[in-house]
Amino acid sequence: MAIDFHFDEQQKLIRDSAREFFRKHCPPAAVRAAAKATEDFPAELWAGMADMGWLGITVAEEFGGLGASFLDLYVLYPEMGRFLVPAPHLDAVVVGAGLVSALGSVEQKQAILREVVAGKLLIAPALTDTGGFGAEDITTEARGANGGYVLNGTKLLVMAAGAANLLVVAARIAGAEGVSLFLIDAAAPGVAREKLPNIAGYPLYAVTFTDVSVGAEGLLGEAGGAWPALEAVLDKAAVLQAAMVAGAGERVLEIAVDYAKNRVQFGTPIGKHQAVQYLCTDVAVAQRHTALLALHAAWRIDRGLPVAREASLAKAMAAKAAAVMTFSAHEVHAGIGFMEDYDLSMYTRRAKHWESHLGDRRHHLERAIALTLEPAA
Amino acid sequence: MIDFLPDDTPELRAWRAEVRAFLAEVVPGGMHFDYDFDESPEGWEKSLDFWRKVGAKGWIGLTWPKEYHGLGRSAIERWILWEEFANWPAPGFPVIGHAVSWFLLRHGSHEQKLRHLKGIADCTILWGEGYTEPSSGSDLASLTTRAHRDGDDWIINGQKTFGTAAHQCQWMAVFARTDPNARPHEGISCFLVPLDTPGIQMLPMHNMAGGQQNQTFFENVRVPHANLVGDVNQAWSQIWFHQGGQNLDQPGHAPDVMEYRMLRTLKEVFTFCRETKRGGKPLIEDPVVRLQLAELVEGMEIIKLQSFELHSTLVNGTAEGWNPLGGVFNQIHYREFWPHFAQVCMDIVGPLAQIEGGRWAQLQGRIEHYFRGSFGNHAGGTAQLKRMTAATRGLGLPR
Repeated sequence: MAIDFHFDEQQKLIRDSAREFFRKHCPPAAVRAAAKATEDFPAELWAGMADMGWLGITVAEEFGGLGASFLDLYVLYPEMGRFLVPAPHLDAVVVGAGLVSALGSVEQKQAILREVVAGKLLIAPALTDTGGFGAEDITTEARGANGGYVLNGTKLLVMAAGAANLLVVAARIAGAEGVSLFLIDAAAPGVAREKLPNIAGYPLYAVTFTDVSVGAEGLLGEAGGAWPALEAVLDKAAVLQAAMVAGAGERVLEIAVDYAKNRVQFGTPIGKHQAVQYLCTDVAVAQRHTALLALHAAWRIDRGLPVAREASLAKAMAAKAAAVMTFSAHEVHAGIGFMEDYDLSMYTRRAKHWESHLGDRRHHLERAIALTLEPAA
Repeated sequence: MIDFLPDDTPELRAWRAEVRAFLAEVVPGGMHFDYDFDESPEGWEKSLDFWRKVGAKGWIGLTWPKEYHGLGRSAIERWILWEEFANWPAPGFPVIGHAVSWFLLRHGSHEQKLRHLKGIADCTILWGEGYTEPSSGSDLASLTTRAHRDGDDWIINGQKTFGTAAHQCQWMAVFARTDPNARPHEGISCFLVPLDTPGIQMLPMHNMAGGQQNQTFFENVRVPHANLVGDVNQAWSQIWFHQGGQNLDQPGHAPDVMEYRMLRTLKEVFTFCRETKRGGKPLIEDPVVRLQLAELVEGMEIIKLQSFELHSTLVNGTAEGWNPLGGVFNQIHYREFWPHFAQVCMDIVGPLAQIEGGRWAQLQGRIEHYFRGSFGNHAGGTAQLKRMTAATRGLGLPR
């Protein structure tokens, strides 16, 4: 089937059921309510997603998942963007459970993945200490002690840490090279979670580790050797984040075009003016470019082809698109788009989070050009 | 099923190898010749010689029906052929013969197909563009070249302009107004006109990149009724909209030659950046230059993927979530990105980039030439026109 942009029947089925499910469970009022609620996200929504099988699409069948393909997972993401689904699927499932799948021992996978898939255990990845996105931005220290480790440091922008049972913490082992990952009980002594008020209304936290002890069995993957697997999981997540932006962009475009068709000024719909038409095409073009790069990168992941460069191009474009699409849509709307109870503003707030989540445009452009100029690196 | 791999069978891989072997034999090392930006007689001669060899293989009409001088092969084989040609590189196919072939296959009579596709298939007849007029560019439907019926003939009077390489062509596809009383879009017809017909005069126009375009004057030019394509007065909807709106007449899209030109240019700029120090360190280590290069890579990747999407749409239909007018959205990016790309390359190479030739020219002046050529980005309609089409036809905004 050479060169085709049609999803297969199973993917269409997942996409269509996701659209129906989110349409029902995530209307704008529910999205607004979730952003103001004290709990990190609506528990019944998460349970519903677990019932649909969506917390384990790519998890191996032996650990309770569906063992399906990356593209089967991919089709959920434009829908999650379109409906601004208030659930930490990307962080908890794709990154959190993804790291356990990639690096975990059989015991760790047995203990964790089945629970994650059932929606009973939530993992929060705690990665950056600085807001930066590279290995060098991981500075939390793990000191060897009593056959295990003691962690000290503060992780920022940790998604859904309040609801999490388990944290995957990136750290550096004192006196050793490389990045290590630790599985730490979110309620362990010395773990402090501080909710961060933020533009998106997402449940983001600062998590501080003060002399937090973890046994050697808490190490996920090789000591000092987690970075390559972490990078590969983050590439997958970056592609899905781009797909989410593309899906949100479809909705932002609909909102802008509907408004331009119906808003009358100077005796004519404003959408008749070329200046307004160009703003609408700016939204459409940015959406289209993001969707092209994201789908291509997803296909490469599905085929097992190298994807770091393509994932970075997709996320770089998504970051630009998140800004361009919302800005242009606001230009079309003027005053009404500025109002909190107008749906566009919900997209604008979240787009700002998506822009830098999993790496901002500059980070991914730097990475893409490095991988283009020095492919072996 | 989502797929970005053109040659996913042994047969298709063998086909690619066959195309590549042909290129290695006929144009070893490749041939850089773009008639849009180059008027050297030697280039034209070698280019025509190359395309006649391609024609002898039957590959110009690769996907056409066998009945009409084609080989009846698949759209994906055409994709692979063009990808290899673009990458090698082969010289660009001269002028608008492919567009003529698509509309003849769709709207031409049996006799027209038999007769005219032959000359395109073996590259013995070149076709020039007779659409644009001095006062009808973006607003093509306002054209005033007239054709009136005279017995079994039509008599054409008027003027066409910007005909790229028309002076090298033997025939021209001419749009003329055949019903002055109808609405602008509903009174235009398309005629196949031999350029040696009495009453045709051509004057050269030289574009800023070294290519020749032409003014063509028609004074009582007589063509038989048999040279009318499609229905009288219906050229706009039957032919132009399909070409200018989107490429509905094609069996499938092929990789964009422009992407490969950019790729070659960018590789030269990469090399330049590795070998050139500015401010005491290699340009390639300058973080600002690296970000500039990254944005060029991003824009080129989008051009590449756009071709995939358009091909899928033409072969398999529009997939959900993709605008059916994807081709128009593609043209927006292509038209805006190309001059931007050239501008950034000039900026990176620096002040010496303005030197056209001689020992002090950077990269033999190729970036400077490429920059001049990038002002040809409007052919087929400006980015602004494409945005208007995309907004009204693609997004449903009012006209």
